Amino acid sequence: MNAEIKVIKQIAPNELVLICGLPGAAYIGKLSIDYLIQQLKAELVGEVYSRFFPPFVIIKEDGLVELMRNELQHVRDETGRDIVFLSGNAQAFSPEGQYEITDKVLDWAIEKGVKRVYSVAALVTDREFEAPNVYATATSALMLEEAKSKGAQVLDHGVIGGENGLILGLARKKGLDGICLLAETHGYQTPTGEYVIDPRASKAALNVLTQFLGIKVDMEPMDKQVAQMDEAIAKMAEIERRVREEMMQSGKRPSYVT
Amino acid sequence: MQDEEVWIKRNETPPLKNPVVVVGSPGLRSIGKLAVDSLVDQTKATLIAELYSTHFPSVYETSPSYAAHPSMPGEAGAVVELGRADLPKVQFYASANLQLVLVRGYHPNFYGQYVVAQKVVDFLGDLGVERMVVVAGFGSKDKKIVCAANSQKALEDLKTRFDVGVGYKGPFMGFSGLVFGFAKLRGIEAVCLFAGTEPNEENLELPDPEASGRVVELLNRMLSLKK
Repeated sequence: MNAEIKVIKQIAPNELVLICGLPGAAYIGKLSIDYLIQQLKAELVGEVYSRFFPPFVIIKEDGLVELMRNELQHVRDETGRDIVFLSGNAQAFSPEGQYEITDKVLDWAIEKGVKRVYSVAALVTDREFEAPNVYATATSALMLEEAKSKGAQVLDHGVIGGENGLILGLARKKGLDGICLLAETHGYQTPTGEYVIDPRASKAALNVLTQFLGIKVDMEPMDKQVAQMDEAIAKMAEIERRVREEMMQSGKRPSYVT
Repeated sequence: MQDEEVWIKRNETPPLKNPVVVVGSPGLRSIGKLAVDSLVDQTKATLIAELYSTHFPSVYETSPSYAAHPSMPGEAGAVVELGRADLPKVQFYASANLQLVLVRGYHPNFYGQYVVAQKVVDFLGDLGVERMVVVAGFGSKDKKIVCAANSQKALEDLKTRFDVGVGYKGPFMGFSGLVFGFAKLRGIEAVCLFAGTEPNEENLELPDPEASGRVVELLNRMLSLKK
């Protein structure tokens, strides 16, 4: 079981697009795609299992157990176009596993006639900003021009870690059109190393993505999350600023031991 | 050497028809393993199969600790018992009288956990198992037992019949966690009983026979094992 798709429901798409948002920095991809799944009332059509997911299960608050997995959720929009979202509770932990899973999902989508692949990811930055920029990287210059017309900037160079980036690279190899939208975030982490969600960045990514898809989505629930997290992130930024100031005043500098 | 990553050596198996399985493995205060050891003695179940894997650790560069690092769970190396060396293995016992299967688990390395767990669940499915009870521990000062399950119905049943409710949330690592998780994919209804135990920082696997005894007592009632 390097990677296996358990089909929950067969679909016969007319014109399919695949949109990927797996958990990563600040959960921007997952948060964006889970939001669309909820708003568009997408339906679970497939589950992806792999030996390369982290080796544990999650016991949820209600007492039910859940394996690590990715999910394929499907919706047919008003125009008759089919969208499949790839989301989940984990990414594979090794490069080998990330290739296996991404390859499996893309082959499944190709069999269903997919023509275009989107993914949403994070661009972690130290830059101070009022509103996060959204950067785009694509498989063709034409798509980059399209992205610019929708408010995104072109990502000249860089690396996109994990499956949200890999899916674009593999899509290109398989002759598909693809675009990855990367929203800026400071990528705050908790003391235990877990990312803090960044709905403001997700909202920025969704603003571009929904233009690409030509759909309108109620953003009010997301705006509420943005307000809550803005407050929390402001508090964290203030603590970080104070710590920096104290270090500067005391003459101490952050140091590395290698 | 076997070609497969996981292989099973089978012994004679008594007639079984949809037996219940109890699964336990080393882990926090060894509660799961102790419970299975105790039930093997109590029920006089016979050894029906042993599962071996190239993923069972043969050596760790540092002293293994179950909770310290996820890639180094359990023991490493050949197992010596009563002067005889053997490979690390998962053992399956069965009692036809009680229609019961017992699994004494073993932790594979980080990269082999899914392969071993899936093979175990497939084997149990082939034996006709439809119900599973996993036994484990969780850090708590209260001497209580809480549960988790792979269906709402199973949770409600445990609460109604045995007054055992939910009370642990978070990751469940290693052999028993993945066997528990895979059960649903094979159509096996599974519950897990977590016995509260105070973790011992010096030795996280320091046995807690009191906690495992509490679970065995509950299992005896749940599965009518003392006839």
